[in-house]
Amino acid sequence: MPPDAEESTPATHGVHDLGGASGYGPVPHDPDEPPFHADWERRVFGLLGAVTASTARRPGEFRYALERLHPDDYFKNGYFGRWLAGFEVLLDEYGVVGRSDLARRMAEMRDAVLLEAGRTDLIPSVVSKATPARRVSPVADRDPALLPRDRPTPTPQRRTVRRELADPPRFNVGDRVIAPAPAQAGHTRLPGYAVGKPGTVAKLHPAEVLPDSTAHDMGERSQHVYCVGYDARTLWGDDAEPNTTVHVDLYECYLQAAPSED
Amino acid sequence: MHDDHGHGSAHDHYDASSPQIRIEALEDLLVERGIADRERIDATIERFEHDIGPMIGADLVARAWADPSLRTRLLDDADAVVAELGVRGAEIEHIEIKANGPGVHNVVVCTLCSCYPWALLGLPPNWYKSPEYRARMVREPRAVLSEMGLDLEPDTELRVWDSSSETRFLVLPERPAGTEGWPVERLTELVTRDSMIGVARAADPRGQQSGAHEH
Repeated sequence: MPPDAEESTPATHGVHDLGGASGYGPVPHDPDEPPFHADWERRVFGLLGAVTASTARRPGEFRYALERLHPDDYFKNGYFGRWLAGFEVLLDEYGVVGRSDLARRMAEMRDAVLLEAGRTDLIPSVVSKATPARRVSPVADRDPALLPRDRPTPTPQRRTVRRELADPPRFNVGDRVIAPAPAQAGHTRLPGYAVGKPGTVAKLHPAEVLPDSTAHDMGERSQHVYCVGYDARTLWGDDAEPNTTVHVDLYECYLQAAPSED
Repeated sequence: MHDDHGHGSAHDHYDASSPQIRIEALEDLLVERGIADRERIDATIERFEHDIGPMIGADLVARAWADPSLRTRLLDDADAVVAELGVRGAEIEHIEIKANGPGVHNVVVCTLCSCYPWALLGLPPNWYKSPEYRARMVREPRAVLSEMGLDLEPDTELRVWDSSSETRFLVLPERPAGTEGWPVERLTELVTRDSMIGVARAADPRGQQSGAHEH
């Protein structure tokens, strides 16, 4: 057992890190559900390409923007609602559309509708000059010394996160591994429920750039990626369901060797 | 479906928290500033509403049912097969196909966000993106599956795949009995979106009698 692996707790347990969270009831299942439920959801989806091309261009950056949202904004209007809130954050942070610009435009649109409806009495006579508050956590400061080293990889032909690594993988299929809690706050793809729990490498995936680094603009620091299988009893204890394995894909730098089973 | 946000209705314009008015304002500003293009927005929506959807994955599954050598290659190297079939697009940098079989069932989730093989299944349904599914599918997957209408035997091995890297998963459901000799086009009708996520079995062929012909 590596030191502290068992005792440690995640540096951050973000609103998005939902695996195993309690308090949720039946899944709102509809086998014939369409991809969009309202016109605004269509428009949000259609804008993704333009927004990310002008703001979050690095792998993991858009996801991290969603993870930084206020929980209300994360949950209130579902998946496309959090995309929209994430768009507003990124466009503001990158200076493409400031949050004051957006507020002003919405007020103009409202006034135009009221004017057309003959309800000029409802148009506010005093226009607020205050900048709307930011409802988002800032990008966490990261110490690059706590990230794995960067290493040169051949430039891929198409835009992709996959990379060829010269160094061989550190772990093999069948190895017992354990992921300690992240050393610092910020973006990670390590789900909280897997932290500190021993699992077994089931398969190797293609190597990828490390989102924990790229989302923070700290280079690719590419990693081998492992599919790690966790027995449900290891994750959830005695009341776990029988005959169940949960597989999580983890970047090499998350993992340490764990003692083998017996 | 509760689509009562009529585009541009006065009601929406009274409420600054309405996503309809926020996205309208944002889209207008981005178009005016040359960041976004309305035709491209419309084309993207159109593509994901009509051209990209579960029928692409269903075709892959039906072909694998009909052709054992394709099935073997698909399970071994899905990326190569998907490329051969000319499937392109977002969210399929690396695909793995997980085959159900006697005593083995697979189901896919993304607990950290809502990763999903867009180019094979289209955009994910809301329930897949719901906190209920994301929270519970790793903690009590058999209970969730049972609520969704799929009861597994206790001795069936259940494999849950949490999509935490850029690998995307698709479940290859078991081919239903009574479909021997069916052509690929007819088999695809049995392959539902739910069955490729792993929350259902493939459709029962007895419910698909229209146009049936004995072989």
